[in-house]
Amino acid sequence: MIKLENVYKSFGDLEVLKDINLEVKSGEVVCVIGPSGSGKSTMLRCLNQLERITSGKIYIDGELADEREMGKDLKEIPPEKVQELCTELGMVFQRFNLFPHLTVLENITIAPKIVRKKQESEIKKIALDLLKLVGLEDKKDEYPSRLSGGQQQRVAIARALAMQPKIMLFDEPTSALDPELVGEVLEVMKKLAKDGMTMIVVTHEMGFAKEVGTRVIFMDEGRIIEEGDPKVIFDSPKEDRTKSFLKKIL
Amino acid sequence: MLTIPQVMALVDGTILTMQLTLIGITAGIVLGVLLALGRISKSRILNGITWVYVWAFRGTPLLMQLFIIVYAVPLFTLDLFGFPLRLPILAAAAVAYSLNSAAYLAEIIRAGIQSIDKGQMEASKALGMSYYQAMFKIIIPQAYRRLIPPVGNELIMLLKDTSLVASIGLFDVLRTTSQMTNATGKAFYYIYAAIIYLFFTTIIQVVFDKVEKKYSIYD
Ligand SMILES: Nc1ncnc2c1ncn2[C@@H]1O[C@H](COP(=O)(O)OP(=O)(O)OP(=O)(O)O)[C@@H](O)[C@H]1O
Ligand SMILES: [Mg+2]
Repeated sequence: MIKLENVYKSFGDLEVLKDINLEVKSGEVVCVIGPSGSGKSTMLRCLNQLERITSGKIYIDGELADEREMGKDLKEIPPEKVQELCTELGMVFQRFNLFPHLTVLENITIAPKIVRKKQESEIKKIALDLLKLVGLEDKKDEYPSRLSGGQQQRVAIARALAMQPKIMLFDEPTSALDPELVGEVLEVMKKLAKDGMTMIVVTHEMGFAKEVGTRVIFMDEGRIIEEGDPKVIFDSPKEDRTKSFLKKIL
Repeated sequence: MLTIPQVMALVDGTILTMQLTLIGITAGIVLGVLLALGRISKSRILNGITWVYVWAFRGTPLLMQLFIIVYAVPLFTLDLFGFPLRLPILAAAAVAYSLNSAAYLAEIIRAGIQSIDKGQMEASKALGMSYYQAMFKIIIPQAYRRLIPPVGNELIMLLKDTSLVASIGLFDVLRTTSQMTNATGKAFYYIYAAIIYLFFTTIIQVVFDKVEKKYSIYD
């Protein structure tokens, strides 16, 4: 589904991703953990081209989406193609980023409407189904500011799903939430995982990783240090850096 | 009191003042949005051109801009192309007010756009929207509300600045009343001008306050 090959990313002199190699297969739920500043968000942002990689290759759905070296394109990929590939990725942000001037329903329908140009009635039906999935049908006409953080994040998940992506990227989806609201968001994510959605989730929610994660990746200083089965990584990590990190977050 | 011809003259002056104000603000907003997009664009060229525009129009007196557009442009074009590009004075004045208010509005709109959280553009892009789709559907609609008070302010300034057209031979509200004073030796005609200006600025204030409230539903 997704492949990163020798991916590097720098911001000026600061090298944030160093030789990242990662393949995610259909149906996998990959959890990414690591200390602050280790490049987890940057990796997700490079995947859907919110940031351009400096060097390396990115494949989405088996097709080359980006190939660069020293900050230059190696291969001209038509922008429409890149955009099409990127819409196969849905993204959920730590701070929700709902559109405050639109109602819950409009938040979900706007992208399908103007990007996919689908029929209004069809879009609305999909949106209402998604609201049901995240348990918020009764909030469809509210503005985001009237919702709790957990509800907002569930709407954000529905909004991303409305574009019918093949892969969902989550960047610490629960870390801006009050503890009592974390569970409802994780429940929705578990449901998605069980329905077979391919997911990459930056999270420190160990319970989630153990229950639905198929793999855990530990990143530090821009590198993937260790990866493997969640239970193995959490209970008996090999690398010292992983051990000391897990000690800190537990 | 006023004679019928005086009332007619005041009505004509008011219409002229309103025409210039409404054209100036409408064209100014349209051009101002384009200039603001240029100011925040990544393209060096667009950025440079729009910067120079704003710099020139905010850095020189409006009266000078009026003189240049009304009097100097026909002369320049005559020298350059052999024929004068001469608009009717009212049209030329409308152009001057539009170009001038666009420069001020561009800065207002740019600040409004830049005050919107970066996460909004990122979320839009992550959903597959293009830069301009995100700008016109997500960013600018949110900037509206923050733009209402400064745009109202600009509109009031514009309304008052239309009195400068007296110096290019047009009869707006102020010039009409000062001519009545000159003709009769009575100064109270200025009170009519003040009432007319205050009437319109009050309407602008009330309407803009209402609109601002209306947009506050979502926060
Ligand atoms: N746009 C940017 N410009 C410059 N530096 C950046 C930019 N975005 C991220 N960085 C830097 O890149 C490094 C990695 O950031 P990133 O956000 O990917 O880390 P993270 O692992 O997601 O951390 P956190 O757990 O705090 O979210 C940090 O040092 C950060 O300061
Ligand atoms: Mg992060």
